[in-house]
Amino acid sequence: MTTEWPGTPETATATYVFAVCRQLDPAALTGLAGLADGFPVRGLRFGALTAVVQHVPAAGFTEDAWQQRLSDREELEHCARAHHDVVTAAAACGPTAPLALATLYRGDERARQALEADADRFAAVLARVEGHAEWGVKVYLPATAPGPAATAPPGPHRSGGGAGGGAGRAYLERKRGLHRAREQHHDRALRTAEDIDTALSRLATATRRLRPHGPELTGEKHRLQILNATYLVSSVRVRRLLEAVAGLRHRTGADVEVSGPWVPYSFVGEV
Amino acid sequence: MTDVDERWGAPPANGPTTSNLADILERVLDKGIVIAGDIKIDLLDIELLTIRLRLFVSSVETARKAGIDWWETDPALSSKAAQNELREENRRLRERVDALESGDDDSPADRSKDKDTAGAAT
Repeated sequence: MTTEWPGTPETATATYVFAVCRQLDPAALTGLAGLADGFPVRGLRFGALTAVVQHVPAAGFTEDAWQQRLSDREELEHCARAHHDVVTAAAACGPTAPLALATLYRGDERARQALEADADRFAAVLARVEGHAEWGVKVYLPATAPGPAATAPPGPHRSGGGAGGGAGRAYLERKRGLHRAREQHHDRALRTAEDIDTALSRLATATRRLRPHGPELTGEKHRLQILNATYLVSSVRVRRLLEAVAGLRHRTGADVEVSGPWVPYSFVGEV
Repeated sequence: MTDVDERWGAPPANGPTTSNLADILERVLDKGIVIAGDIKIDLLDIELLTIRLRLFVSSVETARKAGIDWWETDPALSSKAAQNELREENRRLRERVDALESGDDDSPADRSKDKDTAGAAT
């Protein structure tokens, strides 16, 4: 029953599910706006678990409405941050499994029914992420390759050129040198990325490689992202992870950026 | 145990809220448990790449270059792309040569045909 909001017929609201956790402190959710103004973010018990849910006006959350919402950069950011804020607040109370953005049911009863059908999976996910957090690591190298002069070897000089051909050949060799330098730079970057990923993976319970962000997205021209990885790390190993990052930064000369702890978004889907 | 509680208590709130939009999007949109809802949003339609592309297009004005596979074809990002560029150019040139050559093959045939018909006419 959704009669707590007078004047709102039951069919006018849908139930949005943010996350599933074991227990939830209602105080952790106070003040959160969620995705719809005027509807509280609250817990919904199902079996031994609790879902973090919110009523939302059904008319504003149809598929068409979502497509439109997610095509608008500001709306997209608002939704993603709202979802994320609720998930993060819930995670402060204990292990939490975030659900995909835009998971909606026709009502609380339908949500409870659907979630209960997946109860075993949720239990497995919560057991897996308990005491763990997700840590994102991005590695950057300078975007430009070193000058080709140092790396271009003298090409085999075959006869038949003459003075005119020499200029052409020099041009081609210069081009080839540039190309080679770029390739070597690229290879070195890939090796550095692999080394760092390998070292950090040893400390992680699980790892994921995300697609590196291009300069168009980072807005940075002077450096290139060569690794975008994320690690599920036990809280007892966090210090070692951060120390390892500092060591790798020093040893490889790469910019290694760490973000976290995150609710383990990247490690709940596959269980 | 206190270690665990402490870490779960405070930090999850600060790290993510200060994080940049791309970080949040790639987690919130791309990840999390997918269970079928009554109102189903096809996550493939709003795949992160599309979102990134939109961010990119809206933030940079060079929309002309915004092929959906820009991260693969940008030579600065991939040496393969640089090679592909050459390969692509070669392919185009070879096609033109083929077209020209087959054009040459056609024309003598046409000419002989013309000659034949001309011969027949006389």
